[in-house]
Amino acid sequence: MAHDHDHNAPAPMVEEVSDFEALEIAVRELAIEKGLFSAEDHRRFTEFAEHIGPTPAARMVAKAWLDPEYKKHCLTDAIAASKAVGVDWLNPTGFGTPSDYTDLRVLEDTPTMHHVVVCTLCSCYPRPILGFQPEWYRTPNYRRRLVRWPRQVLAEFGLSLPAEVEIRVEDSNQKCRFIVMPVRPAGTEGWTEDQLTEIVTRDCLIGVALPKPGVTSNIPLPVHRAAKPAHH
Amino acid sequence: MSQHDRTHHAKIATGKGDPQCFKGTADGPPKFKVGDRVRIKHLPDIFYTRCQVYTRGAVGEVAVVTHESPAPEDESFGHVDHSEWFYIVRFKQRDLWPEYPEAFANDTLQTEFSERWLEAA
Amino acid sequence: MSSTTRQQVLRHLALVADLQPPVQKTGKAPYPTDMTHDLFRAFTRSPHDVGGEFDVPVEWTEEEGEAWGYRAYVTTECLAWRGVWCAEERRRMQNVDLGTSQYLGLPYYGRWLLAAARIMVERGDCSLGELINKFDEVKKRHEPAR
Repeated sequence: MAHDHDHNAPAPMVEEVSDFEALEIAVRELAIEKGLFSAEDHRRFTEFAEHIGPTPAARMVAKAWLDPEYKKHCLTDAIAASKAVGVDWLNPTGFGTPSDYTDLRVLEDTPTMHHVVVCTLCSCYPRPILGFQPEWYRTPNYRRRLVRWPRQVLAEFGLSLPAEVEIRVEDSNQKCRFIVMPVRPAGTEGWTEDQLTEIVTRDCLIGVALPKPGVTSNIPLPVHRAAKPAHH
Repeated sequence: MSQHDRTHHAKIATGKGDPQCFKGTADGPPKFKVGDRVRIKHLPDIFYTRCQVYTRGAVGEVAVVTHESPAPEDESFGHVDHSEWFYIVRFKQRDLWPEYPEAFANDTLQTEFSERWLEAA
Repeated sequence: MSSTTRQQVLRHLALVADLQPPVQKTGKAPYPTDMTHDLFRAFTRSPHDVGGEFDVPVEWTEEEGEAWGYRAYVTTECLAWRGVWCAEERRRMQNVDLGTSQYLGLPYYGRWLLAAARIMVERGDCSLGELINKFDEVKKRHEPAR
């Protein structure tokens, strides 16, 4: 191919890529070239990943608050109970996601017991029903400190509980995955499932916040922006 | 180049899930039951473990018998021929940490172990 | 027996904080006689096993993920979907094998990505040479024109 050294021609618009970006492309292209998985596999799993979020878990809690039979179902077979909120844990592979497995457990809070979840070893999280974990959940800092100084860490999230409330830390280190079922707060009498779902935030389902009427978003925290974010 | 059958896991787990695909594959029934007092063994950590060092030597109570699965020390090297029973064990925080305040003596922590890490206490 | 183990555990948790990141001050490997049992356990620990170590309160933050990070996550899951590895093998390679310095020093999805690259070479699906050449080729593809 002849090289055109016309100095009037504009330079081609090429984005700079980081080492990680380049390696990601290299690994994916090589994997597809070698037949390890197909481009269609990658698209299908991407679509799965783009559609997960905390709403199904929030709705599971809301339904349980309204229906004692469903609550029992959640506490005895949370995987089966997930179907009622549109989550089939066998998706998208037919045997579940490789990293999240298919053994969900619901941790029931009571007026004298509050649960909070951590994975000290990595960042295991029930993605199919809760979406992706927040960055702070993945940090060595949270994982070092929550198991040993839980009340201090919870206080940093704005949650202080009296001594009479037992704080039970769940260190999620094997194949089980956990969500917290908080106590239904006062001031929600007569509420619909939709209204209750709105106040069960991701932070409540991890256990670093309690649901409150009027609070429908996670604790506001500074957000570190990406250089090239995903566009969902 | 790999001899490993890449369709194996999909074959055994499709329609069932994981760890459900390992149901019935442990050598026998669970050695421990809910309420049993167990101590965490302080085995050497060569190359890989999911038994957290902060639990070693501590005594807790079996809270849940969860499922059968290959132990992560084996599964992490692709050795899935043997399964063990897994248990959620609950500890009093004051039994784990000497500085944990007496004011919060009710606080607990629970985490999951494969059977090889547990002995009767 | 139990109390000796717990005392060991608590010393270990205090000690490993001083090992991160390990810094070679003398420029040579320590003599075996310089190694205590506590140091042996500290160096042979699984780096991901951080529960109970000392750390300080920080400002908790959220992160807007990079697109490459999510793509790397999907790649690792597709490799497991199609049986190249399982998630536990990934965790070992990604969170333990790479050692404490890389574990604490690399971005979260950077480690996922390196593990994906690693498994392909380890399994023989590609040679390291092929991976290096592909990586180089992709970088050159995206270099600004001179």
